[in-house]
Amino acid sequence: MPDTTSVINTLDERQPYIALKQAKKSSELACDNTSIAGSMSQRACVYSGARVALNPVTDAIHLVHGPIGCASYTWDIRGSLSSDKETFRTSFSTDMKGLDVVFGGEKKLSKSIDELVELYHPPVIFVYSTCIVGIIGDDLQAVCKDASERTGIPVIPVQSEGFKGTKSDGYKAACHALMQIIGTKEPEITSEYRINILGDYNVAGDVWLVKPLFEKMGIQVITSMTGDATADTISKAHGAQLNLVQCSGSMTYLAKWMKKEYDIPFIKVSYFGIEDIATALRETANFFCSEEMKRIAEEIIEHETNRIMPEIEAIRRRVQGKTAAIYMGGAAKALTLIKGFRELGMEVVIIGTQTGKQEDYRQISYQVKDGTVIVDDANPLELADLLVKQKADLMVAGVKERFLAYKLGVAFCDFNHDRVIEFEGYEGFLNFARELDISINSPVWRYVGSKLVSSRSESTGIKENSKSAEQNTAESNKIIGERSNMHEISTITLQESMT
Amino acid sequence: MSERNYTTVNPCIMCQPIGSVMAFKGIEDSMVLLHGSQGCSTYMRLHLAHHFREPVDIGSSSLSEKGAVYGGSENLKKALKNIISRYNPKVIGVSTTCLAETIGDDIVRIISEFREEENIGDDRIIIPVSTPSYEDSHNSGYIKAVEAIAKTFTMNDSKKEIFNNKLNVVLSENISPEDTRELKHIFGSIVGNNSFILLPDISETFDAPMTGDLHKIPLGGTTHSDIADMKNSAATIGFGITNDNKAVNYLEQRFDIPSQNLPLPIGLEYTDRVLTALSNVSGAEIPDEFQKERGRLIDAMVDAHKYVYGTKVAIYGDPDNVLGMLSLVLENGMHPILVVASSKSPGFAENAMERVNQVKPDCDVTILEDVDFDTFNDAVKKAKPQMLIGNSNGKYIAKEMNIPLIRFGFPIHDRVGAQRILTLGYKGAMRMLDSITNTILEAQDAEMAAKWSEPESYVPLSESTFHSAEA
Repeated sequence: MPDTTSVINTLDERQPYIALKQAKKSSELACDNTSIAGSMSQRACVYSGARVALNPVTDAIHLVHGPIGCASYTWDIRGSLSSDKETFRTSFSTDMKGLDVVFGGEKKLSKSIDELVELYHPPVIFVYSTCIVGIIGDDLQAVCKDASERTGIPVIPVQSEGFKGTKSDGYKAACHALMQIIGTKEPEITSEYRINILGDYNVAGDVWLVKPLFEKMGIQVITSMTGDATADTISKAHGAQLNLVQCSGSMTYLAKWMKKEYDIPFIKVSYFGIEDIATALRETANFFCSEEMKRIAEEIIEHETNRIMPEIEAIRRRVQGKTAAIYMGGAAKALTLIKGFRELGMEVVIIGTQTGKQEDYRQISYQVKDGTVIVDDANPLELADLLVKQKADLMVAGVKERFLAYKLGVAFCDFNHDRVIEFEGYEGFLNFARELDISINSPVWRYVGSKLVSSRSESTGIKENSKSAEQNTAESNKIIGERSNMHEISTITLQESMT
Repeated sequence: MSERNYTTVNPCIMCQPIGSVMAFKGIEDSMVLLHGSQGCSTYMRLHLAHHFREPVDIGSSSLSEKGAVYGGSENLKKALKNIISRYNPKVIGVSTTCLAETIGDDIVRIISEFREEENIGDDRIIIPVSTPSYEDSHNSGYIKAVEAIAKTFTMNDSKKEIFNNKLNVVLSENISPEDTRELKHIFGSIVGNNSFILLPDISETFDAPMTGDLHKIPLGGTTHSDIADMKNSAATIGFGITNDNKAVNYLEQRFDIPSQNLPLPIGLEYTDRVLTALSNVSGAEIPDEFQKERGRLIDAMVDAHKYVYGTKVAIYGDPDNVLGMLSLVLENGMHPILVVASSKSPGFAENAMERVNQVKPDCDVTILEDVDFDTFNDAVKKAKPQMLIGNSNGKYIAKEMNIPLIRFGFPIHDRVGAQRILTLGYKGAMRMLDSITNTILEAQDAEMAAKWSEPESYVPLSESTFHSAEA
């Protein structure tokens, strides 16, 4: 259990959210609260939560009811791929102006829906509400209900006013929207074993490396939510006998509802890393109690593991002993990453999430070694201090953290919307390992922090930037990088590498 | 996709607050704080980090439901306090969002209460600016913030007023850090490094050298003493002629500082115009360096003229950047068939037509402003340009039309080097022209490849030979 006595300097109010895992000490990490004003949280808003969870539905129109910014900043940023329609990559907005704010935006929204139906013939429209919609009191439910009746297609309100809670509330709003489509069509049943993949967003095509594994086991995957999902497949989701939930932060709510509504049980799984993929396949086979399926699962696990192991071993030799920092949106990904790093011989020294819950942090705490820092809703200054203090060699996070890590000379791996290669499944884990190898072992780090010394100084050529103690104390407004992964630079090696 | 009246599809603009952020980030030792919900600052941080590839910190008052109902005063004060405690900035820009404006928070009052309650000294400057997201665009947000900065720093009448014989240089639209460096180089070379004040200056703040250390607030930006000193200057040059440069007007009206607004120096003639104006206003000679650069540019234009002549291009983006690019394209004999400004700008169409009439009056040009990318897409399909020049958001259209896209402007999130794109001055013109010309040549190569047969010696090695050679 973690110890929450001051790990680094930060706002007093933030101290309970940062803890050092230590044996025999117990206290709960503070989490699951709204962000502190001015703390520079890395989180976004309710709308963002709803948007990331729903946006991958490929053939839907995602209409943002609000001023233009909310639509501008979320245009095609999800990184999800589609095997069919690309409608979801287009940005639709009612672009509310001053007059709409004064007189209400209901009419504009209603007309906007009508023209979109006529122009695009979408199977479903999701209408996202933004901050001011909640303030001026547009009745989204009523407008959408009328529009559904008028147009004959489901027009579904997503109650995601930015200020009404946290990103997690946005996930719930997205789940509520999905609930309104599920069960509206009857599935075509092609196998006696049927599942849904929940909480996989098909970033870079992840789902396409996972779905075939289940299909090989004789399972029909009815839908994957929401990565590469269509309105049609979602509407048939109730035909499954089991839900596999990966991103638990966003989709457990829906899974619980499906349990209650359709009596479909769910299990939490991960398709990342050799151990977790195997567990996912085995647990699924166990659920269906089919010996044949269990046999196939074991065959897949053995064959695929043997296939990737030689390269994984080679990479492990190059990254072994390096330290990793994890800062993720959700706790499920953070948890599975701990195991992934272990499989590569790396040690996690910092782990944090934007939206983790008490139970998530408890599990994280079991998984990490003593001395690991656990943090909820971190901000850039905390992360920077932690990277230096914990001597991280590599960080895995999203775009906002990338350049912070780089400035401190820390290698980086993007495990968010921005990546263009798959990290799930066997091939995905290989991709992940290669990415770590590339970033950790690139020669560029040896130059970070180096300085050119002019010939009048005592030494010549390029040398590492070294500072006196006085200089260091005078520079309190900056975070001094450790550059632990930087090679010693001597003039000779540098000259060699340049020729 | 055909006629739409109510929906914006693939927006060309961003909201006002992000424009204000870009301006505040060009001030020394400053932080920005958005009064609104948590998402606004995070989305803008993402957007700016994608483009500049730098850490970007933007504070938020993280308004919650309670704040939205009872007013956000408590949140804003707490955010200010926390930002001071963590970043200790000398300047804090506070921009509103749609939420703060709609609930009717008076940020000027809240800030003055905060100053009193927390005993904030005069050396800490807090600059409020009203930037509701449901009005205008990022371009107007930028202009408003620059005006607010100039006003706040020069307001204090008790400060000494000593004529400094300097030149104010005030931007009305965001330019790249590299362009900012070039602009400073031009001004420094002609009037002297300490004889002009550029506002804002993102040359270092959004493109910091890698040292291995992380500054809480990036170094660089226009210094506070310089901004305060703007009221004592001899003259002001405003860059941008498509929108009112409010800070320029303010300095002229309030302190009688004569001013002129000039186009961004993109292409030969606009750069000529800026350098001539600079020489006139300062009385300084134009250094030989620029005569030579100009000569090289003309040499480059002559070298390229046959390749580029008549190429139909569509240019889109922020109005003054587009106007400059239009000028460059015209001078080189290209055909700007479609010219699009992201936001409504009073001087855009008029100035664009003037340039067309000056250089190529018989040229058929469509000018659009304040449209979304879907409307632009329709126009592109009709006009059938052979090349697009603009930001990354045009990539979908370029791909669909199978034509090249030359990236410039903001945002550029799918290529590296947005910070280093140089378009200003003779040097910038050379870079852009080379890039345009080489893109055309490459397209020609691709076209010719079908007709050529490779000489035998260049037939690719077999895979095995290649691998063993590598080993």
